[in-house]
Amino acid sequence: MSLTFSLAHLLGGIILLCAFLQLSQRRLAAMITLYQLEALVLSAAAFWQGFAQTELNLYLTGLITLVIKAILLPWALREIVLRFNMARAVETALPMAVSMVLGLALIGIAVLVVLPTTMSSVSLTREDLAIALSVVLLGLLLMIVRRNALAQIIGFLSTENGLVLAAIGMPDMPFVAEFSVALLVLLAFLVVGVFLLRIREHFDTLDLSGLEEIERRGR
Amino acid sequence: MNFALFAIALPLLAAALLGSLGAPRQGAVANAVASLALFGLTLAVFWGHSEGLVAVDPLAALFGTVTGFVGLTAALVNVGYVSTDVARMPARRWRLYHALFQIVLGASLLGLYANNVGLLWAAMEGGTIAMTLAVSLYRTPTGLEAAWKYFILGGVGIGLALFGTMLVYLAAQPALGPGFAAMSFTALSTHAAHMDGALLTLAFLFILFGYGTKAALVPLHGWLPDAYAEGPAPLTTALSGLLINVALLAILRFRHLMVANAAAGGSAMPPGPFLLSLGLASLFLAAFSFSRRRDARRFFGFSSIEQSGISAFAFGIGGPTAIFGGLLHMLLHTLLKSGLFLALIRAAGLRGSVTPGNYGFSHLRGLLRANKYIGWLLAGCIFALSGLPPSGLFVSEFIIISQTIQKNPYMSMPLGLGLLLCAVAILRNIGPLLFASSPHEKLKPAGRGAWLVVAHLALVFLLAFAMPTPLVHMLSQEAEALR
Repeated sequence: MSLTFSLAHLLGGIILLCAFLQLSQRRLAAMITLYQLEALVLSAAAFWQGFAQTELNLYLTGLITLVIKAILLPWALREIVLRFNMARAVETALPMAVSMVLGLALIGIAVLVVLPTTMSSVSLTREDLAIALSVVLLGLLLMIVRRNALAQIIGFLSTENGLVLAAIGMPDMPFVAEFSVALLVLLAFLVVGVFLLRIREHFDTLDLSGLEEIERRGR
Repeated sequence: MNFALFAIALPLLAAALLGSLGAPRQGAVANAVASLALFGLTLAVFWGHSEGLVAVDPLAALFGTVTGFVGLTAALVNVGYVSTDVARMPARRWRLYHALFQIVLGASLLGLYANNVGLLWAAMEGGTIAMTLAVSLYRTPTGLEAAWKYFILGGVGIGLALFGTMLVYLAAQPALGPGFAAMSFTALSTHAAHMDGALLTLAFLFILFGYGTKAALVPLHGWLPDAYAEGPAPLTTALSGLLINVALLAILRFRHLMVANAAAGGSAMPPGPFLLSLGLASLFLAAFSFSRRRDARRFFGFSSIEQSGISAFAFGIGGPTAIFGGLLHMLLHTLLKSGLFLALIRAAGLRGSVTPGNYGFSHLRGLLRANKYIGWLLAGCIFALSGLPPSGLFVSEFIIISQTIQKNPYMSMPLGLGLLLCAVAILRNIGPLLFASSPHEKLKPAGRGAWLVVAHLALVFLLAFAMPTPLVHMLSQEAEALR
């Protein structure tokens, strides 16, 4: 039992670390690598939970995560970076240090909110949930502090990782949710992929600060 | 028979067919036929029997019928829309458009009929993706901007809602055990007393902000006016109210869990203050955003934010009568708003083009000189939207205000002020829209489909002032159950 706990927490901690480090990266390539590592550890966590709970669904979640999130998505993201020549550093809306302090504050909030409210649950679920909420919030923060469309997508994908982390920690949750999340990422990426191509056509850049046509014309 | 399953499956099958076959005009006709069949099925749901994952309560059946009706009228008007606008997009994209039309209907019905928090979430997610694609359909820069906004805000909302859904499961799990039972609305509401109140409160907050994004409650409303203004009109305006209903009903059901838990001595916080503040914020944001909107679709988008805020406010007041008022308001507003947009599409058609960008108030003004019938119909819809007496919305707003005065008198002041500001801002538009002189002086035929707007208006009037007694019983029972 204790091995279940410590390994699950270790994996959750690595995921949180990856999500946090993404805030500190200026270059898209580094963010993608961190995302890939995050997804890889997430699939390991899913496999470990599957083994600990002897639940086939969790193995399946782990497999989906491994194939789609850890292999296919990073590959496609790198392809976009290469094709659109976006290897240079991307613009940030807030100074790096400020966004990292905000990130720390969000982790604190997540822990302070989740731990007292979940006294009745098993401690594995509680701590996993606190980590998962932190990852979700950090992903949202990443979407706010980056102006680049691709960086926002990475933030979104990181948020999804946090959701999956929460889902695999839930005791015997029916598979519906996990499957939907996996599906969402795939579909979301399709949608986003379409956008990226079109945005490129129309604006010649993936910097969204130029995307203010509606404001300019007056609503 | 479980007609609900058919009602969910039909649009999805139709979407597959419409997405792969046919020329634009044929697609529009097939779309209308599918929507007619769907309307029949949503009516049949009342007499059907359902259980398990898709178990329909009378409230869901009622909103499902409204969904079917709005889908049908929008699909009928859409036939004319497609034939005037057919050159704007290649045939393949028209197929996608019709497929999306059906998917939005299917997702709304799944969201209404589902008796499972996970399935509800999946429906909202599907609806969001379909709407995002719909908003970007014309591929204009402004359309892409609107779709990007929708995607980012909607995606965040969906993510928050999923987290909330998982927390609800976690809160219910000690009482209901693992598995599907802890995700079904009926089981959750009967066992709400034994759920973990603190966890339920946390879950409700995530769900409120998650589904609140879809219901366009301030501060998460940013996507709605742009989405209304940019996509193909029948899909992104006339139908989008349906997903707002699904989101509001979801919030109402989760709110009921909180109230039931608190009433039974659980530690859940009362949900009222959250809903009241979001509702009032939406109302006032809309009131102050109405001025200086040049585009009619964006203008009425802000009005949807207002109405959604009013319903949320009513749910925040709580109690069977206020909830009845809130539900009635949702029903009437859905019917009225989609009728208004059908009239607006026709009005833009009189001016020559129905594509986005042709709905400016300055472009539409002086409608009486183009066609009296359409002009007065549109004016009637706009007047009804303001909530002044012969309009149906007056009844629901009256119920909500009188309940507010009874239960929470201090809140009635800001509510009344907000409603008044909104009504004035809406009414100001009628004069120029009808009577101003315009460069387009030629009289034009009203075209087919204007009677559909009349049907919408008549239905709103009927439901508000002469609602059949069985329907009143049913709605008040449901409001009592969700109090």
